[in-house]
Amino acid sequence: MDIQDYFSLVFSDYTLRTITLGTAILGAVTGMLGSFAVLRKQSLLGDAISHAALPGIAIAFLITGAKDSNTLLLGALVSGLIGTFWIRGIVKKTHLKSDTALGLILSLFFGFGMLLLTFIQKQPNANQAGLDKYLFGQAATLVESDVWLMAIVTGLCLFVLLLFWKEFKILLFDADYTKTLGFNTKIIDILITSFIVLAIVLGLQTVGVVLMSAMLLAPAAAARQWTNSLSTMVFLAAVFGAFSGVFGTAISASQTNLSTGPVIVLVASVFVFFSFVFSPSRGLLFKHIRVIKNRRDLELHKTLSFMYHIAETHDNISHPHAIKLLNNFQGYTKSTLQKLVEKDYVKLEGKMWRLTETGFNTAANLYTKQSTDDE
Amino acid sequence: MNSAQIEIQLIASLVAIACTIPGTFLVLRKMAMISDAISHSILPGIVIGFFITHNLNSPLLILFAAFTGIITVILVEYIQKTGLVKEDTAIGLVFPALFSIGVILIAKNANDVHLDVDAVLLGELAFAPFDRLLISGVDVGPKALWIIGVILLITITLLIAFFKELKVSTFDAGLAASLGFSPAIIHYGLMSVASVTTVGAFDAVGAILVVALMIAPAAIAYLLTTDLKRMLALAISFGVLSAISGYWFAHWLDASIAGSITTMLGLIFLLVYLFAPSKGIIAVMYREKQQRTEVSLLTFLLHLKNHNEFEERHVNHLREHINWQKVRAKTVLELATKNNMIIVENNIVSLTKKGDKFTSKAIDYIITNEDAQIEDMKDDFFLFRG
Repeated sequence: MDIQDYFSLVFSDYTLRTITLGTAILGAVTGMLGSFAVLRKQSLLGDAISHAALPGIAIAFLITGAKDSNTLLLGALVSGLIGTFWIRGIVKKTHLKSDTALGLILSLFFGFGMLLLTFIQKQPNANQAGLDKYLFGQAATLVESDVWLMAIVTGLCLFVLLLFWKEFKILLFDADYTKTLGFNTKIIDILITSFIVLAIVLGLQTVGVVLMSAMLLAPAAAARQWTNSLSTMVFLAAVFGAFSGVFGTAISASQTNLSTGPVIVLVASVFVFFSFVFSPSRGLLFKHIRVIKNRRDLELHKTLSFMYHIAETHDNISHPHAIKLLNNFQGYTKSTLQKLVEKDYVKLEGKMWRLTETGFNTAANLYTKQSTDDE
Repeated sequence: MNSAQIEIQLIASLVAIACTIPGTFLVLRKMAMISDAISHSILPGIVIGFFITHNLNSPLLILFAAFTGIITVILVEYIQKTGLVKEDTAIGLVFPALFSIGVILIAKNANDVHLDVDAVLLGELAFAPFDRLLISGVDVGPKALWIIGVILLITITLLIAFFKELKVSTFDAGLAASLGFSPAIIHYGLMSVASVTTVGAFDAVGAILVVALMIAPAAIAYLLTTDLKRMLALAISFGVLSAISGYWFAHWLDASIAGSITTMLGLIFLLVYLFAPSKGIIAVMYREKQQRTEVSLLTFLLHLKNHNEFEERHVNHLREHINWQKVRAKTVLELATKNNMIIVENNIVSLTKKGDKFTSKAIDYIITNEDAQIEDMKDDFFLFRG
């Protein structure tokens, strides 16, 4: 099946429609919440949470013995929350830094989860097969009820986000000020962290423990490059996330042997790369162009002010001088000279140049302007 | 105990030591998450290396994969330098992308590659003794043992040779640079060692255990000491302890050895986190409670000094005026009485000479707000020490 088939089938085929909808919703909600994680400098929290959710899945299975995805996700949610708040406890109460706390909880919880998973695999319970789909995710196992669950959580999340928008925003940018205003920062904080955990847990089935953090980060990091406004960023991140989900599903469906999770992550990474390079205000390409432009301007100014200094010593400012007088050191190149001519600052006569009236005045002003700028 | 069991424990212990040494420095340099990034992003390196060498234990593959680890570090630093995103976001962007490439490479070539992503993440220590190294037909031990042994030897040599440089650059990067040690060389040296160790160990114990062994023992030791050498020694002992106890736990449970070792590390961490003498959570909370009482006491004494009227100094009035709960008021009163700072006569509280002197000093301290003074004051009077 190639991509065209995919798009013609996506509306009619049950499985494809479910998966596409699921990954799109997932991308949107993680992108939305990921914006907050990225701006709060908690980017790697997602990584830690998704790994920390694993033992919860295993324990939920051990207790219930059933593979109902809702129960398992509940277990994941609980263990993700425990991990998150333990990380906070470590950072707050001990002198271990946040990176150590994240790495600790991530690896210890995941290791414990693996211990439980391997333990479960040895159990004489035919039901246990397929638990490892939570490691790398299998979008193909999504069913309609999963998508409904995602949609409900996304709706809830959107509702809370709109309801507490002001509080979230102010907490994000100035936590101390929020406190002095009398908001209960602890509750707002817990609320937003819990939603991040919830979104991650929802994605485990689709993208898996290992790659879930990228779903949270990549759309938000891409969106950040295009705007400085929080609402636009959240919206853009949701759009990027949803598109990563859809494109990722389309590509993985059109090839054999391609699991959806890694493809979605790669598509999201492409979004990030594109944003890093091509964003007009922050992007590397335009930044570089601006640098080159500034450098050229500077060289132009240098040449002009050099000419000005020569012309100054003569009574007639338009007295012609040899081009040979100019050299690279003053930023002279053929093209800069040509530019000066175009701007009508300089007139060329054979191998001689002379400053025009406008050129002389500009150079004089340039000089004073520069010196005032320097002060 | 048969020879395979001894060999497994030996490999696990060597891996623990080899991981702990660079891990300690990563934790101290606040770069612990880099080890997580490296452990994931070596996957494409391993896969491509495997296409070339067709041998999971070839030194070339280890070098190739370690090189991917270094590329990860360079990429992360490049993204950080552009200033487009924060440092931790850069890490979080790079390694999932590389890991995804690895997973896709494996999936697309599933028929040619005897590589399983689960195995990369988890390793299988139990099989390590079966892969023997044969030198001209003579069995000299498991390959994994040799690989990790060589890596450990290199790590220890580097550690001893550059201990001073590492120490200075970890705790005072500016000083190290001004003394002429290139921060870049030390940084990338450490990163290279971390990458090589990760690759060398992943095959035996899996990527996640590598991360756990790098971070957890160092973090546990850091809660117990502030001396670098002691921290290294403690971290290594905890690593080895968890490796061996973890093996037996897995043996008893018949589950993954890597997971079990990590669980042991988690248990040790939990214990130390709770009960470490001065930095454990219980010690910290106890200290905070003491400090709260000390502050209350000070407030109380200041109040007494400010008021000569009887009604302001009546025991019942204090309770409503300063608005303390009954219990806390009682603790503070008792503490003050015990230290001879106040006397209570007919329910009227008054300062003693000592209390008066203490309070004056405290006011001086609050006005000037110099640390040195409160330290002296604590020595002169204090409080919980008798």
